[in-house]
Amino acid sequence: MLAQVIVSGILSGGLYALVALGLGLIFGVMRVINIAHGPLLMLGAYTTYFLTTRLNMNPFLTVPVAMAALFVVGVLLQRGLVYRVVDAPELSSLLLTFGISIALVNLAQLAFTSDLRAVEYITGAWVLGGLAFSKPRVIAFLFAGGVTALSFLLLKFTRLGKAIRATSQSREVAMVCGVDVGRIHMLTFGLGAALAAAGGALLAVIVAIQPEMGGVWTFKSFLVIVLGGAGNYPGALVGGLLLGLVEQLASLFLTTQLSEVVAYVLLVLVLLVRPSGLLGGRQT
Amino acid sequence: MTSKAPAALAVALALAVGGVMPATAQGPIRIGASLSLTGTYAKLGKNQHEGYQLCEKDLNAKGGLLGRRVQFVVYDDQSMPATAVRLYEKLITEDKVDAIMGPYSSPVTEAAVNVTEKYKKVMVAPLAATTSIFKKGRKYIFMVISPAEAYLEGLVDMAAKRGLKTVAVVNEDTLFSKAAAAGAVEIVKKKGLQVVFAEAYPKGNTDFSALLTKVKAANPDVLAAATYFDDAVALTRQMKELNVNPKMFGVTVGGDLPEFYDTLKQNAEYIYGATQWEHTLPYPGNPEYFEAYKKDFGHEPSYHSTAGYAGCLIYAEAVKRANSLDADKVREQLLKLEMRTPFGDYKVEADGFQVAHKMVTFQWQKEKKVTVWPDELAQGKPLFPTPPWTSR
Repeated sequence: MLAQVIVSGILSGGLYALVALGLGLIFGVMRVINIAHGPLLMLGAYTTYFLTTRLNMNPFLTVPVAMAALFVVGVLLQRGLVYRVVDAPELSSLLLTFGISIALVNLAQLAFTSDLRAVEYITGAWVLGGLAFSKPRVIAFLFAGGVTALSFLLLKFTRLGKAIRATSQSREVAMVCGVDVGRIHMLTFGLGAALAAAGGALLAVIVAIQPEMGGVWTFKSFLVIVLGGAGNYPGALVGGLLLGLVEQLASLFLTTQLSEVVAYVLLVLVLLVRPSGLLGGRQT
Repeated sequence: MTSKAPAALAVALALAVGGVMPATAQGPIRIGASLSLTGTYAKLGKNQHEGYQLCEKDLNAKGGLLGRRVQFVVYDDQSMPATAVRLYEKLITEDKVDAIMGPYSSPVTEAAVNVTEKYKKVMVAPLAATTSIFKKGRKYIFMVISPAEAYLEGLVDMAAKRGLKTVAVVNEDTLFSKAAAAGAVEIVKKKGLQVVFAEAYPKGNTDFSALLTKVKAANPDVLAAATYFDDAVALTRQMKELNVNPKMFGVTVGGDLPEFYDTLKQNAEYIYGATQWEHTLPYPGNPEYFEAYKKDFGHEPSYHSTAGYAGCLIYAEAVKRANSLDADKVREQLLKLEMRTPFGDYKVEADGFQVAHKMVTFQWQKEKKVTVWPDELAQGKPLFPTPPWTSR
């Protein structure tokens, strides 16, 4: 039983990590708290839903499409709205992104209605050594792992990635070094949105899709960021896996009802004992 | 001309004008309601809204109510009880509607009824199934559907008749589902079976792996799940992944929707569901209502639609008998009324608690819902036991 639950925890943790990484990037680089992260994920899920049902695409092949689409949306949002609050106190960015999230959710409700949608693609599990590995969740985990790995490669080895990390460490010095900070902000927000969309696209075959599905993901992404350390990108990975495991283990040893509570208790504990997160604060 | 003529003329004129005045009606009877048009209950709230709309249309086609047109004034409470409270206050104090109809779901009704009791407004609450709502000494609230505790009765009864021994009960941790689960546990004990596992999960939970791992370890004959729609879908999918194979698996709300089968396809086969109504039941006006609804809204009605429709008809009947919109007079009629609508029977106890309406249990068999319980209303036999996932 324990082994099974650990498997489930790791699988769900992978998705948490992917989505939280997007949020972490946006915060790390721009000090913007993106409350609209969940709705961006939701739009990614709807993209997959429509591509799958209207064009008969394989849902997993829609992931790059959703990512590209939401990258554009993210860039537009940053260019149009978010850039105005980058230098403002953090409350301003909170309010702005909160407003954006309300707008996105309600636009989705108008456009798509609140009818629950679901993509039926693959069900069942692979059984290995007596443990069940949920097929959709394993595939989602592998995709999430792939996208996260690519993101880290981008951050570590490409010029763009280095510029992003430089801006994240110190905007002024990055500017002096010739980095076009405005452009970096734009691309980072787009990238964050694309990562949220990837999460949404992968979730589309697992959960029911409806306009308000993103809210809980915004919360959980924050949890992960705090757990791993705000601005610490590998921390998002650790935090995500940890959250997934804690939830499932709490569900096993206590009750499923309490698993939600345990996650938040963990958040409080981390904030009290090690506020910079398990992996420490801003690093590259 | 005598001096009396002008006076007589004036009186005649006054009478003529006075006689004409009441015929230009006081405007429509406005019935206010807050419904879950968005949010977690959106699908079901929308169906209820369509039921209200069809009732409005049917009433007006027959001349309205008390000689006046009927007009619904509906707001969206987004499936949130706190929002519904605000909206009912608005409907009563600002919009000053003439009548009130109930919202979707027990938690929302429980919150809203405090407002309607405060202003002493009659509220027929067609989609509230939790007994406790009606047992708090309230005077102006009336139940239409069977209580939550009865939802899983068919499943457990059939299990007992087939000699099954152990039952696991899971439920969403909200008002209705908790009541349905508690009712199920009571019936299990009454019929001499054993509850081997019982646990609640938070609303909005999407990953049931740990929960189902525990269920599998308890190895129950029957899994009774008090759910809404998306949790029922998620549970089924993860049961397949984790290979959890009870001999009978039943859900509550949402299992009866065509979308349940559309989403799960053949993974929905053998699943039992409970419903307050099926269009095939032999109630008067049922077939006509079914066709009219399909024509107007482009899809089949669910029991939520029909409960809304019937609730509105029941309220209208009471107003007709009271010949007034006065709350106490209408209340008196609703307490005495016994009525059979396309939804089934209506009769309440002194506290407004429904006692005449009957629920049915069905099973998904070869893409169709087949009513399998109670015997008097059954269309077919249950496919028993449910074969394990690996052999389907």
